[in-house]
Amino acid sequence: MKRSRTRVAFLDRAFRIGVLSACAAALALVVAQAVLAESPSPSAGASGAGASGAASGSPAASGTASSGPTLSGSPSATALATATAKPGATAPAKIDGNTCYSCHTQIGGAQHTIADQWQASVHGQNGIGCADCHGGDPTSDKITVAMDPTKGFKGVPSRQQTVGVCGTCHSNVELMRQYQIPTDQYAKYKTSVHGQKLLLSNDTKVAICTDCHGVHDVKKASDPTSKVYPLNVPALCSSCHSDPKYMDGYNIPTDQLEIYKTSVHGQALLVNKDMRAPNCASCHGSHDAQPPTSTTVVEVCGKCHTATQALYDQSRHAELVNGPKCWTCHGTHDVVKPSEARFFHPSPPQIDCGTCHNLADKTLKLNADRFKNDDDRRCDTCHHVDSLLYSQAQGIKSALDKASSAYDLALTRIAAAAEAGMIVADADVTVTQSKTSLIQARAAVHTTKLTEVASKADAAVTKAKEAQDFADARLAESQNRRQAMIIVLALIAVTILALILLRRGLDHTYEPG
Amino acid sequence: MATQTTAAPNGVVQWFEERVRATALFNALLHVPIPAEAKTYYLGGITLFLFMVQVATGTLLSLYYKPTPEAAYDSVKYITSIVEFGWLIRSIHHWAANGMIIFLLLHVIRIFVQGVYKYPRELIWIFGALLFAVTIGFGFTGYLLPWDQKAFWATTVGTEIAAAVPFIGESLLQLLRGGADVTDATLSRFFGMHVLVLPISLALLLAAHLTVVHQLGIANPKRPSLRPGQLPTPGIVERWKPFFPHYVLDEVIAWAILLALLVVAASVYPAGLEDKADALVTPPHVKPEWYFLAVYQLLKVVPAIGPLTARDVGILIPMLAMVVLVMLPFLDKNPEVAKRKRPVALIIAAIVLIGMGILTWYGGQIPAVAVAAS
Repeated sequence: MKRSRTRVAFLDRAFRIGVLSACAAALALVVAQAVLAESPSPSAGASGAGASGAASGSPAASGTASSGPTLSGSPSATALATATAKPGATAPAKIDGNTCYSCHTQIGGAQHTIADQWQASVHGQNGIGCADCHGGDPTSDKITVAMDPTKGFKGVPSRQQTVGVCGTCHSNVELMRQYQIPTDQYAKYKTSVHGQKLLLSNDTKVAICTDCHGVHDVKKASDPTSKVYPLNVPALCSSCHSDPKYMDGYNIPTDQLEIYKTSVHGQALLVNKDMRAPNCASCHGSHDAQPPTSTTVVEVCGKCHTATQALYDQSRHAELVNGPKCWTCHGTHDVVKPSEARFFHPSPPQIDCGTCHNLADKTLKLNADRFKNDDDRRCDTCHHVDSLLYSQAQGIKSALDKASSAYDLALTRIAAAAEAGMIVADADVTVTQSKTSLIQARAAVHTTKLTEVASKADAAVTKAKEAQDFADARLAESQNRRQAMIIVLALIAVTILALILLRRGLDHTYEPG
Repeated sequence: MATQTTAAPNGVVQWFEERVRATALFNALLHVPIPAEAKTYYLGGITLFLFMVQVATGTLLSLYYKPTPEAAYDSVKYITSIVEFGWLIRSIHHWAANGMIIFLLLHVIRIFVQGVYKYPRELIWIFGALLFAVTIGFGFTGYLLPWDQKAFWATTVGTEIAAAVPFIGESLLQLLRGGADVTDATLSRFFGMHVLVLPISLALLLAAHLTVVHQLGIANPKRPSLRPGQLPTPGIVERWKPFFPHYVLDEVIAWAILLALLVVAASVYPAGLEDKADALVTPPHVKPEWYFLAVYQLLKVVPAIGPLTARDVGILIPMLAMVVLVMLPFLDKNPEVAKRKRPVALIIAAIVLIGMGILTWYGGQIPAVAVAAS
């Protein structure tokens, strides 16, 4: 019995000593590991320096660093590290040396989503890793090393810093050459209304790179699912600019998208999916976004309407200081399809000197800018009915009306001939020539010269009449055919009648079988 | 049974008669009796008339038509716009082609409903079914020849149907088109088929069809033909009427009416011509010619069955239908011809015809999207 108790006591002591020894060994191991991890390893140091060197060592990067926002570690970096790390998690497998992805994927939730978004993004696809924006050491699988501020870890950049983070690479010509994308976005952004407000007024509500291009899910601008894809740009801009609460304080309207949707441009882009149609960025710019001014609007519209701009430049309007520009007659977001009906008001309006002249300084200098109401965008808003220029505008309208009517009449006759089953290829060709001249005549209105418009309009009338003659000849031929058909039918009817009579005669003489 | 015969003539005719002995031939061909109860509605004869119109107008058109992609469209435009009565010849050719398919279809329906494809006229039916296939081939190959947008794209989607045939579809498509796409090779072979292969095939099949019809005579739809050793039903007296001139005269009156209809159609709705074929400009709504719409639509609506894809099912159904059509006299074991004694066959045929009609109508509808776009 006593022997047995001695054995139990021995085993109990041995077990306690064993457990204590194991605990001590484990503690020693953890401490040793921590100490080793704290001491800088030559390879990790080289990697970290290399990463930051790539970001800041280039001429472009150093060039922008002086003028742009400088990057520095943020307190949130530590918070992020402590908030998202999971002690005791199994050692992550390194994916292409990017332990950020491996760890953040394992954390799950929003971190997993971010990691996946990055992997699918244009950055992830081209080997631009987390550390390129957030800093740190992506080769280490230890949170204390990978997200160490002394290794350049920046955490979540502030909105001001973000612009610089993106600009660091995207203004590097050497780096961007391989992707065939421009490097002036950051420089342009600094000139934009957005950039000015952010960098000078410290207004963080304005758009920065990530608001338009995405944060971790950056896509190519040519990707139809990208927010900056041309068809998606109006929705992107309006996400801020149509929000009255968000735009409060900026003193700009928030109904642009609704107005744009009804315009000829909005219809072409959003309804017809015509990528040639302008979106917000086409006129306002993207990185250098700012509203066109009265001195730039002609060039802005002329980017697409090249031929029209050339015609406008020949006009008297273009010669005038503060004279009418594109938007004076066509509006801005609410551009509608132009027509001859837009020349004059149904009845002449009361002309007020202040409509076109600056009354404030009493110099009566011309100041034809924009008219808010579409109804005011007419020739007789500025040109009095008794004026010579009004008569000239009337002459222009009259020439266009005549050409337009001749063209429409030709189309009607051609349609009638085609309806009758006639081949109207010749008429089609000629009426197309008429249409070309009519388009040229309408465009010539921008020269404000009656002779220019009238010569083109006369050409349109001539061709339209020619086309109408072709169509009328086809219609006459169709009529002739139908008249001839009646004669042929009469002959066939007589033949049938004769045959029936012959047949009836046979019936009388034949007895079946 | 007595039949009239043509007496030997005198003079010049006598001179030829002595050298050709045509009177005996005409007597054998024309002076045959047909059942007085026979009701053909002249459908087969009208189809024959339309074929003759096609031969005549087609020959005239071939004098001006140039079968190359560069010249085809302009030559058709030239025929329609410049050549004297070219528009009339082309329009009659166009309408007679459609009429030929319509009347052939009606002829087949008449034969089926009257049950006159049964013993001993199985071969007549088989030759007729093959004639139907050749006529469809005429329409299909001729449709491409104007080389306008409608022709080009209808042929593109029409030949796509052939690609759906299991196993040999792609090869069949290549064979039809002479390559992967509709090109000058397609136009050449379609023209060759249209003016050489198919006319010869149709002429031979027609000769065989009419020869057997002549040998067996026109069937009586009231009662089945007697088999060897079978005695006629007591009390029923067979009544006859002469084929010539009575039936022939009726047929000629029908042809004259058809000719009048062709003249009206050609004058009021002349054959049109769209823009020249352009492989790079797809029209908003492409569909094949009306007689292919049922098959075309079937390909779209049938579901997959077991290991067969929807496409396989869609093409196997019309192929199977064609086999059934050709082999019908051997599949239909019912010897009766009276309609009330063949309810199942007639109900099945009615369902098939109504189904084809619905599919054709459905396939002919322009999709709402296309309408909005246009």
